[in-house]
Amino acid sequence: MKASRARLFKEYKEVQREKAADPDIQLVCDDSNIFKWTALIKGPSETPYEGGVFQLAFAVPEQYPLQPPQVRFLTKIFHPNVHFKTGEICLDILKNAWSPAWTLQSVCRAIIALMAHPEPDSPLNCDSGNLLRSGDIRGYQSMARMYTRLAAMPKKG
Amino acid sequence: MESDDDMVDDSVSMEDDFYSGDYSDYYDDPNDNDNDYCSDDDGDYGLLEDDDDDDQDALVSRRPQLGYTVLNEADIKQRQEDDISKVSTVLSISRFDATILLRHYNWSVSKVHDEWFADEEGVRQSVGLLERPVVQLSNARELTCGICFESLPRDYITSAACDHPFCRACWGGYISSTINDGPGCLSLRCPDPSCNAAVGQDMIDKLATCEEKEKYSRYLLRSYIEDNRKTKWCPALGCEFAVDFTVGSGNFDVSCLCSYSFCWNCTEEPHRPVDCNTVAKWILKNGAESENMNWILANSKPCPKCKRPIEKNQGCMHMTCTPPCKFEFCWLCLGGWAEHGERTGGFYACNRYEAAKQEGVYDEAERRREMAKNSLEKYTHYYERWASNQLSRQKALSDLNQMQTVQLEKLSDLQCTPESQLKFITEAWLQIVECRRVLKWTYAYGYYLPEDEHAKRQFFEYLQGEAEFGLERLHQCAEKELNKFLSGDGPSKEFDDFRSKLAGLTSVTKNYFENLVRALENGLSDVDSQAAAACSKTTSSKNTGATSKGRGGKGKGGSKTGGSSRNVDDTSN
Repeated sequence: MKASRARLFKEYKEVQREKAADPDIQLVCDDSNIFKWTALIKGPSETPYEGGVFQLAFAVPEQYPLQPPQVRFLTKIFHPNVHFKTGEICLDILKNAWSPAWTLQSVCRAIIALMAHPEPDSPLNCDSGNLLRSGDIRGYQSMARMYTRLAAMPKKG
Repeated sequence: MESDDDMVDDSVSMEDDFYSGDYSDYYDDPNDNDNDYCSDDDGDYGLLEDDDDDDQDALVSRRPQLGYTVLNEADIKQRQEDDISKVSTVLSISRFDATILLRHYNWSVSKVHDEWFADEEGVRQSVGLLERPVVQLSNARELTCGICFESLPRDYITSAACDHPFCRACWGGYISSTINDGPGCLSLRCPDPSCNAAVGQDMIDKLATCEEKEKYSRYLLRSYIEDNRKTKWCPALGCEFAVDFTVGSGNFDVSCLCSYSFCWNCTEEPHRPVDCNTVAKWILKNGAESENMNWILANSKPCPKCKRPIEKNQGCMHMTCTPPCKFEFCWLCLGGWAEHGERTGGFYACNRYEAAKQEGVYDEAERRREMAKNSLEKYTHYYERWASNQLSRQKALSDLNQMQTVQLEKLSDLQCTPESQLKFITEAWLQIVECRRVLKWTYAYGYYLPEDEHAKRQFFEYLQGEAEFGLERLHQCAEKELNKFLSGDGPSKEFDDFRSKLAGLTSVTKNYFENLVRALENGLSDVDSQAAAACSKTTSSKNTGATSKGRGGKGKGGSKTGGSSRNVDDTSN
């Protein structure tokens, strides 16, 4: 508990210091609980998520960083490795490939990389996975783009 | 018809070899018999035949040249240490690095050597044994831990070969959480995500708690058995022995020091002559059908005449209901015993599922023909016999136990014979237990024997019937006839006759079952040539022709060997 709090505090200070370091990621600690974080990440360019801003929720366990944080999308997203309803993410470094040297910041970077390179062979969203697996790239992209517009872009008017 | 005659003649002459009980085969030259039996194989496969001979020798001498070794924990540790020392010496690396290498290559010393000397650089890379650090640490007095991001004096920092700096406390937590996650801790790497430097037992020893170190060595020991292709744990509950098996040394049956026997290949119980795949299929099927089988599994059956429930508590299949009913029937088919005999394949052989195809001459056959229509009924037929031999085997085991602990001593006193001279009785019972096991598996074999291979099925059922008959006869003798001597009140003159009879039956039955196992293991290949010829005949003529011949053969076998034990009653409640 003490170690995880100290470590999170370090990360917090680092984030404050280097706010502008990565313009795609904006990590915010909850006002009252250092184990709760949210992040805003920009959809990577040249993907159907481009132009969208996606919100992530982090729940950090007491054993952190020996155990990975739980992360999910709060913004609806159409992606093979993200559960369409719950926003749960299937990513190896959040499960068995976790290393205590990862940080919340690097987790965000890994999630952005996942958005650009989906893994249709271990899908949480089967519809999306099947589109990719059957080679229907256009179908996948247009669905993903539609949901990006609907959910991840500021409403006009 | 000519080819049919060939086939049946062949099987009858085979039966002579198999059954005539010529002990000389067994005692003098075991290979002799084998050669007779495989005569059409003509030895144009030199190597294989050699193997067969070895196998045969082993079987007959009862002191098989074991193709396996049972290891206790100390043995395992010793072997593991030896292997580590070997690799460490030959490659001039530390014992810890040698351990990592061996584990990576599933504890095969030769594989480690081969790979290492072929491409040391590549091996080091994939296993994570670095020769030099990948990071250059500054000379500052303080370093930043890569996990807690604290700046700490150098003394607090430690690293694997890569020099990625982490503090002792974070290392401790990292190691502890992986060890508690399971055997994956054996392939522990540096916590830096981009680094694959291996973390060996030396680091564990420095940084883990006693309890964790204990767990780690446990996993290491287990890995030596579980990841090694040549060793497996004994599957018996609570048994801590492992079995090292030399692949290619004949059959897979092994016996652990805990007295549990199993097939090393699939770790199910020993199942010769049936192969592992068939056993897996059969066991899966039993699991799937078990709901249906519950009513059969129940240990009782109603008497077919008076409907009182009957529990079978003695060896053979000839049942007699308690007075006043006294109905005699066959436990397997519940048909009246009076209808048994030549027509059902001998008094003690009721294996004739196929017999239902005979032209409805009598009611029994009618009933069976109906059964044959339904595949579940077919399965039931085989399963019931499989399970009932299983039960008989368990019963025989407990009888054997009872015999060894109580009866032999009593008998020794009664007959004024030293117990050492009563070994033939124990041997008979051991043989019964073994035969029940084989017979049990022949029913799984029969179930999977293709329906359309008529000649094979016929030959198989014939062999099985003979086996059943021989075993029932032995069982009868070891159980019923022995009782007479147990209840008598002094030395009996007939005891010597009994001795030679039982010993004779034991060796004849043993011989027969060994031949049976071999015949089934090579897929009844003797039938193949004849089967091809027989298939060209019209089905009807073939069936009737072959069946009547088959029965002739059986009658012959029966009259030759049955004699004295035929008319002994078997009663039960």
